Amino acid sequence: MPESCEATVTLTGDLHARPAGALAMAAAKFESAVELTAGTGRADGKSVLAIMGLGAAGGQEVTVRATGPDAREAVAALIDILTEATRVGS
Amino acid sequence: MSDQAKVGIVLVSHSAALAEGTAELAGQIGGGTVTIATAGGTDDGRIGTSIAKVERALRLADGGAGVVILPDLGSSVLTVRALLAEPEDLPEPIAVADGPFVEGAVAATVTAAAGGDIKAVLGAAEEARHARKL
Repeated sequence: MPESCEATVTLTGDLHARPAGALAMAAAKFESAVELTAGTGRADGKSVLAIMGLGAAGGQEVTVRATGPDAREAVAALIDILTEATRVGS
Repeated sequence: MSDQAKVGIVLVSHSAALAEGTAELAGQIGGGTVTIATAGGTDDGRIGTSIAKVERALRLADGGAGVVILPDLGSSVLTVRALLAEPEDLPEPIAVADGPFVEGAVAATVTAAAGGDIKAVLGAAEEARHARKL
């Protein structure tokens, strides 16, 4: 039974291209499958284009869900990036 | 993963400005750790493509893990194919991606930056055609 983990963060700024790239690159380091959810949109956390396609804006909640042997670490890493990289002004 | 050679990217465009701008954008999104070389315009700076520029870009982009070429429009493929038909001293392996130019360049660069092999980078560039932006 693969481990599953999820966490939600409220974006302080819009999810632009550079943080999307940082998220996809971080997610790729984990064996677990990673999914981001924002509103009705879902994106493969390892696909920079899918993440940008979410169109997630400041104030919106984004949920990170990972399934696999390193799910917990994957969720922690992505939540960190979402928190840091979408700070207004970055 | 980060200390191994990364797949290089070559952007082939009819326009030097388009190739360079796309490389700049993809490089920023990908964190700047992937070599992206451009072959834009003709040898005398007009709109068109150049075998010599593609060849030079391939050598620049090669870091030992192979190179993925992204052509902007179908006719850039003719120039790439003409070069690859007689691959003298070119890096190996080389793959040509059938995907959208900007999205493909961004997806390929991010995948290469994350340590993806040439198959993964090619796959990311080609999968880009299915990505929705709205």
